[in-house]
Amino acid sequence: MTSRRARLLAGVVAAVAAIVALLMTGLGRDPSVFASPLVGRAAPNFTLRQLDGPPVTLARLRGQVVVINFWASWCTECQVEQPALDQTWQQFQDSGVVVLGVDFQDTIGAASSYVRTDGVTYPVVEDAGSKTALAYGLRGVPETFVVNRSGRIVKHVIGPVGATALASEINSMLGTRDQ
Amino acid sequence: MNAAGTLRRARASLPGLLVLAALAAGLATLAVVAVSGHPPPSQAQQVQQIAAGLHCPICKDLSVADSPAPLAQQMRQEIAQKLRAGESPAQIRAGFVAAYGDSVLMSPPRQGVTGAVYYLPVLVLAAGLITAFLLLRRWLRTPQADPPGAGAPQLSASQRRAVARAVARLHEEEPG
Repeated sequence: MTSRRARLLAGVVAAVAAIVALLMTGLGRDPSVFASPLVGRAAPNFTLRQLDGPPVTLARLRGQVVVINFWASWCTECQVEQPALDQTWQQFQDSGVVVLGVDFQDTIGAASSYVRTDGVTYPVVEDAGSKTALAYGLRGVPETFVVNRSGRIVKHVIGPVGATALASEINSMLGTRDQ
Repeated sequence: MNAAGTLRRARASLPGLLVLAALAAGLATLAVVAVSGHPPPSQAQQVQQIAAGLHCPICKDLSVADSPAPLAQQMRQEIAQKLRAGESPAQIRAGFVAAYGDSVLMSPPRQGVTGAVYYLPVLVLAAGLITAFLLLRRWLRTPQADPPGAGAPQLSASQRRAVARAVARLHEEEPG
Protein backbone atom coordinates (compact mmCIF):
# COMPACT_ATOMS: atom_id res chain seq x y z
CA MET A 1 0.00 0.00 0.00
CA THR A 2 1.46 3.36 -0.98
CA SER A 3 1.91 6.07 1.62
CA ARG A 4 -0.63 8.20 -0.23
CA ARG A 5 -3.27 5.50 0.01
CA ALA A 6 -2.40 4.98 3.65
CA ARG A 7 -2.88 8.68 4.34
CA LEU A 8 -6.22 8.65 2.51
CA LEU A 9 -7.37 5.62 4.47
CA ALA A 10 -6.27 7.23 7.74
CA GLY A 11 -8.21 10.38 6.84
CA VAL A 12 -11.38 8.41 6.07
CA VAL A 13 -11.05 6.42 9.30
CA ALA A 14 -10.51 9.64 11.30
CA ALA A 15 -13.57 11.27 9.71
CA VAL A 16 -15.76 8.23 10.40
CA ALA A 17 -14.44 8.06 13.98
CA ALA A 18 -15.25 11.75 14.50
CA ILE A 19 -18.82 11.29 13.25
CA VAL A 20 -19.31 8.16 15.39
CA ALA A 21 -17.97 10.02 18.45
CA LEU A 22 -20.34 12.88 17.77
CA LEU A 23 -23.27 10.49 17.50
CA MET A 24 -22.19 8.64 20.64
CA THR A 25 -22.38 11.83 22.70
CA GLY A 26 -26.05 12.07 21.81
CA LEU A 27 -26.91 8.37 21.79
CA GLY A 28 -25.30 7.77 25.15
CA ARG A 29 -27.87 9.78 27.07
CA ASP A 30 -31.60 9.66 27.59
CA PRO A 31 -33.07 12.57 25.61
CA SER A 32 -35.99 12.84 28.02
CA VAL A 33 -33.66 13.58 30.96
CA PHE A 34 -32.38 17.12 30.96
CA ALA A 35 -29.41 18.13 33.08
CA SER A 36 -30.30 21.27 35.01
CA PRO A 37 -28.10 24.23 34.13
CA LEU A 38 -28.60 25.38 37.71
CA VAL A 39 -26.32 22.72 39.21
CA GLY A 40 -23.22 24.49 40.48
CA ARG A 41 -24.97 27.86 40.50
CA ALA A 42 -26.63 29.86 43.25
CA ALA A 43 -30.08 28.54 44.06
CA PRO A 44 -32.77 31.05 43.01
CA ASN A 45 -34.12 32.72 46.12
CA PHE A 46 -37.78 32.59 47.07
CA THR A 47 -40.14 33.47 49.86
CA LEU A 48 -43.11 31.13 49.95
CA ARG A 49 -46.06 30.76 52.24
CA GLN A 50 -45.92 27.71 54.45
CA LEU A 51 -49.03 25.53 54.60
CA ASP A 52 -48.86 25.49 58.35
CA GLY A 53 -46.47 28.11 59.62
CA PRO A 54 -44.62 31.33 58.78
CA PRO A 55 -43.30 32.06 55.26
CA VAL A 56 -39.98 30.48 54.33
CA THR A 57 -37.20 32.49 52.65
CA LEU A 58 -34.43 30.39 51.14
CA ALA A 59 -31.77 33.07 51.68
CA ARG A 60 -32.41 32.88 55.43
CA LEU A 61 -31.47 29.20 55.41
CA ARG A 62 -27.93 30.04 54.25
CA GLY A 63 -25.43 28.02 56.28
CA GLN A 64 -27.64 24.95 56.24
CA VAL A 65 -28.00 22.18 53.69
CA VAL A 66 -31.44 22.52 52.09
CA VAL A 67 -33.25 19.71 50.29
CA ILE A 68 -35.90 21.36 48.10
CA ASN A 69 -38.46 18.83 46.93
CA PHE A 70 -41.08 19.86 44.38
CA TRP A 71 -44.15 17.68 44.79
CA ALA A 72 -47.95 17.62 44.48
CA SER A 73 -50.71 15.74 46.26
CA TRP A 74 -51.91 14.31 42.92
CA CYS A 75 -48.47 12.91 42.08
CA THR A 76 -48.12 9.19 42.75
CA GLU A 77 -44.31 9.14 42.48
CA CYS A 78 -44.23 11.87 45.14
CA GLN A 79 -46.11 9.53 47.45
CA VAL A 80 -43.48 6.88 46.79
CA GLU A 81 -40.58 9.13 47.81
CA GLN A 82 -42.27 10.89 50.73
CA PRO A 83 -41.15 8.32 53.39
CA ALA A 84 -37.53 8.79 52.24
CA LEU A 85 -37.83 12.55 52.64
CA ASP A 86 -39.39 12.15 56.07
CA GLN A 87 -36.61 9.77 57.08
CA THR A 88 -34.00 12.28 55.87
CA TRP A 89 -35.67 15.09 57.80
CA GLN A 90 -35.84 13.01 60.99
CA GLN A 91 -32.23 11.90 60.60
CA PHE A 92 -30.62 15.25 59.78
CA GLN A 93 -32.80 18.07 61.11
CA ASP A 94 -30.51 18.48 64.13
CA SER A 95 -27.41 18.51 61.93
CA GLY A 96 -28.13 21.71 60.04
CA VAL A 97 -30.23 20.19 57.27
CA VAL A 98 -33.65 21.43 56.14
CA VAL A 99 -36.02 19.39 54.02
CA LEU A 100 -38.53 21.65 52.32
CA GLY A 101 -41.49 20.48 50.29
CA VAL A 102 -42.65 22.91 47.57
CA ASP A 103 -46.22 22.21 46.52
CA PHE A 104 -46.59 22.49 42.73
CA GLN A 105 -49.80 23.08 40.76
CA ASP A 106 -52.01 21.95 43.57
CA THR A 107 -54.79 23.26 45.79
CA ILE A 108 -54.02 24.24 49.35
CA GLY A 109 -56.87 22.02 50.55
CA ALA A 110 -55.58 18.92 48.79
CA ALA A 111 -51.99 19.60 49.85
CA SER A 112 -52.93 20.24 53.50
CA SER A 113 -55.06 17.12 53.57
CA TYR A 114 -52.20 15.04 52.14
CA VAL A 115 -49.72 16.48 54.65
CA ARG A 116 -52.05 15.64 57.55
CA THR A 117 -53.12 12.18 56.49
CA ASP A 118 -49.78 10.94 55.20
CA GLY A 119 -47.82 12.32 58.13
CA VAL A 120 -45.46 14.69 56.32
CA THR A 121 -43.27 16.05 59.11
CA TYR A 122 -41.01 18.47 57.20
CA PRO A 123 -42.13 22.00 56.31
CA VAL A 124 -44.18 22.42 53.13
CA VAL A 125 -44.64 25.67 51.23
CA GLU A 126 -47.06 26.66 48.48
CA ASP A 127 -45.73 27.85 45.08
CA ALA A 128 -48.63 29.99 43.90
CA GLY A 129 -48.37 30.71 40.17
CA SER A 130 -45.44 28.27 39.88
CA LYS A 131 -42.99 31.19 39.91
CA THR A 132 -40.45 29.25 41.94
CA ALA A 133 -40.94 26.13 39.82
CA LEU A 134 -40.19 28.17 36.69
CA ALA A 135 -37.13 29.74 38.33
CA TYR A 136 -35.85 26.22 39.05
CA GLY A 137 -36.57 25.00 35.52
CA LEU A 138 -39.07 22.44 36.70
CA ARG A 139 -40.41 20.00 34.11
CA GLY A 140 -42.62 17.94 36.40
CA VAL A 141 -42.86 16.40 39.85
CA PRO A 142 -41.16 15.04 41.76
CA GLU A 143 -37.90 16.91 41.29
CA THR A 144 -35.41 17.53 44.09
CA PHE A 145 -32.60 20.05 44.40
CA VAL A 146 -29.93 19.82 47.09
CA VAL A 147 -28.49 23.19 48.10
CA ASN A 148 -25.22 23.36 50.02
CA ARG A 149 -24.43 25.63 52.94
CA SER A 150 -23.14 28.30 50.57
CA GLY A 151 -26.46 28.44 48.76
CA ARG A 152 -25.32 26.59 45.64
CA ILE A 153 -27.26 23.79 44.00
CA VAL A 154 -25.09 20.68 44.11
CA LYS A 155 -27.55 17.99 43.10
CA HIS A 156 -30.66 17.73 40.97
CA VAL A 157 -32.77 14.58 40.98
CA ILE A 158 -35.61 13.96 38.54
CA GLY A 159 -38.04 11.39 39.90
CA PRO A 160 -38.29 9.86 43.35
CA VAL A 161 -35.29 10.20 45.67
CA GLY A 162 -34.02 7.37 47.84
CA ALA A 163 -33.21 7.80 51.53
CA THR A 164 -29.82 6.07 51.25
CA ALA A 165 -28.61 8.13 48.28
CA LEU A 166 -29.85 11.33 49.89
CA ALA A 167 -28.18 10.50 53.21
CA SER A 168 -24.92 9.73 51.41
CA GLU A 169 -25.05 13.06 49.58
CA ILE A 170 -25.85 14.99 52.75
CA ASN A 171 -23.15 13.22 54.77
CA SER A 172 -20.55 14.07 52.16
CA MET A 173 -21.66 17.71 52.24
CA LEU A 174 -21.67 17.91 56.02
CA GLY A 175 -18.21 16.41 56.10
CA THR A 176 -16.68 18.84 53.63
CA ARG A 177 -16.29 22.56 53.36
CA ASP A 178 -18.48 24.12 50.70
CA GLN A 179 -16.86 25.93 47.83
CA MET B 1 -47.83 90.93 -22.10
CA ASN B 2 -51.49 90.19 -22.72
CA ALA B 3 -53.79 87.81 -20.85
CA ALA B 4 -53.94 85.28 -23.67
CA GLY B 5 -50.16 84.91 -23.65
CA THR B 6 -50.08 84.40 -19.90
CA LEU B 7 -52.77 81.73 -20.14
CA ARG B 8 -50.85 79.94 -22.90
CA ARG B 9 -47.65 79.88 -20.84
CA ALA B 10 -49.56 78.61 -17.81
CA ARG B 11 -51.12 75.82 -19.88
CA ALA B 12 -47.73 74.89 -21.27
CA SER B 13 -46.15 74.55 -17.83
CA LEU B 14 -49.11 72.64 -16.33
CA PRO B 15 -47.77 69.08 -16.98
CA GLY B 16 -44.46 69.97 -15.35
CA LEU B 17 -46.24 71.36 -12.33
CA LEU B 18 -48.38 68.23 -12.04
CA VAL B 19 -45.27 66.01 -12.13
CA LEU B 20 -43.63 68.14 -9.43
CA ALA B 21 -46.76 67.95 -7.26
CA ALA B 22 -46.90 64.17 -7.65
CA LEU B 23 -43.22 63.85 -6.68
CA ALA B 24 -43.73 66.07 -3.65
CA ALA B 25 -46.73 64.03 -2.56
CA GLY B 26 -44.74 60.79 -2.95
CA LEU B 27 -41.80 62.11 -0.95
CA ALA B 28 -44.13 63.38 1.77
CA THR B 29 -45.76 59.93 2.00
CA LEU B 30 -42.37 58.22 2.23
CA ALA B 31 -41.28 60.66 4.95
CA VAL B 32 -44.44 60.00 6.98
CA VAL B 33 -43.99 56.19 6.69
CA ALA B 34 -40.31 56.43 7.61
CA VAL B 35 -41.00 58.56 10.66
CA SER B 36 -43.99 56.62 11.96
CA GLY B 37 -42.78 53.07 11.01
CA HIS B 38 -44.82 50.11 12.14
CA PRO B 39 -46.99 50.59 15.18
CA PRO B 40 -45.38 48.99 18.25
CA PRO B 41 -46.74 45.52 19.05
CA SER B 42 -49.22 45.31 21.91
CA GLN B 43 -48.17 43.50 25.07
CA ALA B 44 -50.32 40.50 24.13
CA GLN B 45 -48.52 40.33 20.78
CA GLN B 46 -45.15 40.55 22.53
CA VAL B 47 -46.13 37.73 24.90
CA GLN B 48 -47.21 35.67 21.90
CA GLN B 49 -43.94 36.37 20.07
CA ILE B 50 -41.75 35.43 23.05
CA ALA B 51 -43.85 32.37 23.92
CA ALA B 52 -43.67 31.17 20.30
CA GLY B 53 -39.88 31.05 20.60
CA LEU B 54 -39.93 28.95 23.79
CA HIS B 55 -40.36 25.20 23.95
CA CYS B 56 -43.02 24.00 26.40
CA PRO B 57 -40.86 22.07 28.94
CA ILE B 58 -43.41 19.32 29.57
CA CYS B 59 -44.64 18.91 25.99
CA LYS B 60 -43.25 16.77 23.20
CA ASP B 61 -43.12 19.33 20.44
CA LEU B 62 -45.16 22.40 21.29
CA SER B 63 -44.20 25.98 21.92
CA VAL B 64 -45.26 27.79 25.06
CA ALA B 65 -47.60 29.83 22.83
CA ASP B 66 -49.37 26.74 21.47
CA SER B 67 -49.46 24.49 24.53
CA PRO B 68 -52.59 24.27 26.66
CA ALA B 69 -50.58 22.78 29.59
CA PRO B 70 -50.89 24.64 32.91
CA LEU B 71 -47.11 25.13 33.09
CA ALA B 72 -47.14 26.78 29.63
CA GLN B 73 -50.00 29.03 30.76
CA GLN B 74 -47.96 30.02 33.81
CA MET B 75 -44.97 30.70 31.58
CA ARG B 76 -47.11 33.03 29.45
CA GLN B 77 -48.27 34.82 32.63
CA GLU B 78 -44.66 35.08 33.77
CA ILE B 79 -43.68 36.60 30.40
CA ALA B 80 -46.49 39.16 30.67
CA GLN B 81 -45.49 40.08 34.23
CA LYS B 82 -41.85 40.50 33.24
CA LEU B 83 -42.80 42.68 30.27
CA ARG B 84 -44.89 44.87 32.59
CA ALA B 85 -41.88 45.03 34.94
CA GLY B 86 -39.85 46.47 32.06
CA GLU B 87 -37.76 43.47 31.04
CA SER B 88 -36.85 43.18 27.36
CA PRO B 89 -37.76 40.06 25.33
CA ALA B 90 -34.06 39.11 25.27
CA GLN B 91 -33.84 39.35 29.07
CA ILE B 92 -36.96 37.23 29.46
CA ARG B 93 -35.62 34.56 27.10
CA ALA B 94 -32.28 34.62 28.94
CA GLY B 95 -34.13 34.06 32.23
CA PHE B 96 -35.82 30.93 30.92
CA VAL B 97 -32.55 29.67 29.40
CA ALA B 98 -30.83 30.15 32.78
CA ALA B 99 -33.42 27.89 34.42
CA TYR B 100 -34.05 25.34 31.67
CA GLY B 101 -31.00 25.48 29.45
CA ASP B 102 -30.86 25.98 25.68
CA SER B 103 -33.40 23.20 25.18
CA VAL B 104 -36.16 25.64 26.16
CA LEU B 105 -35.54 27.57 22.95
CA MET B 106 -37.46 26.45 19.87
CA SER B 107 -34.31 27.26 17.83
CA PRO B 108 -31.28 26.41 19.98
CA PRO B 109 -28.14 28.47 19.30
CA ARG B 110 -25.74 26.96 16.76
CA GLN B 111 -22.87 26.36 19.18
CA GLY B 112 -21.04 23.30 20.49
CA VAL B 113 -22.54 19.92 19.58
CA THR B 114 -25.72 21.61 18.34
CA GLY B 115 -23.58 23.68 16.00
CA ALA B 116 -21.88 20.52 14.73
CA VAL B 117 -25.29 19.07 13.90
CA TYR B 118 -26.00 22.13 11.78
CA TYR B 119 -22.61 22.54 10.13
CA LEU B 120 -21.14 19.02 9.87
CA PRO B 121 -23.42 17.82 7.03
CA VAL B 122 -22.57 20.97 5.06
CA LEU B 123 -18.83 20.45 5.67
CA VAL B 124 -19.02 16.77 4.69
CA LEU B 125 -20.96 17.65 1.53
CA ALA B 126 -18.44 20.36 0.64
CA ALA B 127 -15.51 17.97 1.24
CA GLY B 128 -17.21 15.33 -0.93
CA LEU B 129 -17.84 17.78 -3.74
CA ILE B 130 -14.25 19.04 -3.65
CA THR B 131 -12.91 15.48 -3.65
CA ALA B 132 -15.18 14.50 -6.52
CA PHE B 133 -14.12 17.59 -8.48
CA LEU B 134 -10.41 16.89 -7.94
CA LEU B 135 -10.74 13.23 -8.90
CA LEU B 136 -12.80 14.06 -11.99
CA ARG B 137 -10.25 16.66 -13.09
CA ARG B 138 -7.39 14.20 -12.66
CA TRP B 139 -9.18 11.50 -14.62
CA LEU B 140 -9.98 13.90 -17.46
CA ARG B 141 -6.41 15.19 -17.69
CA THR B 142 -4.61 11.86 -17.46
CA PRO B 143 -4.32 10.09 -20.87
CA GLN B 144 -5.62 6.58 -20.87
CA ALA B 145 -2.18 5.05 -21.20
CA ASP B 146 -1.29 1.66 -19.91
CA PRO B 147 0.10 1.76 -16.46
CA PRO B 148 3.82 1.26 -16.06
CA GLY B 149 4.74 -2.39 -16.39
CA ALA B 150 1.74 -3.12 -18.56
CA GLY B 151 2.16 -4.60 -22.04
CA ALA B 152 4.50 -7.45 -22.86
CA PRO B 153 5.56 -9.21 -19.69
CA GLN B 154 9.24 -9.31 -18.95
CA LEU B 155 10.31 -12.94 -19.30
CA SER B 156 13.51 -14.54 -18.27
CA ALA B 157 15.65 -16.42 -20.80
CA SER B 158 14.45 -19.82 -19.59
CA GLN B 159 10.84 -18.67 -19.78
CA ARG B 160 11.39 -17.41 -23.34
CA ARG B 161 12.87 -20.77 -24.28
CA ALA B 162 9.90 -22.57 -22.71
CA VAL B 163 7.48 -20.37 -24.67
CA ALA B 164 9.41 -20.99 -27.91
CA ARG B 165 9.28 -24.73 -27.31
CA ALA B 166 5.54 -24.58 -26.62
CA VAL B 167 4.93 -22.57 -29.81
CA ALA B 168 7.05 -25.01 -31.86
CA ARG B 169 5.09 -27.91 -30.42
CA LEU B 170 1.86 -26.24 -31.37
CA HIS B 171 3.06 -25.75 -34.92
CA GLU B 172 4.06 -29.41 -35.17
CA GLU B 173 0.66 -30.55 -33.86
CA GLU B 174 -1.24 -28.35 -36.30
CA PRO B 175 -2.73 -30.38 -39.10
CA GLY B 176 -1.50 -29.64 -42.60
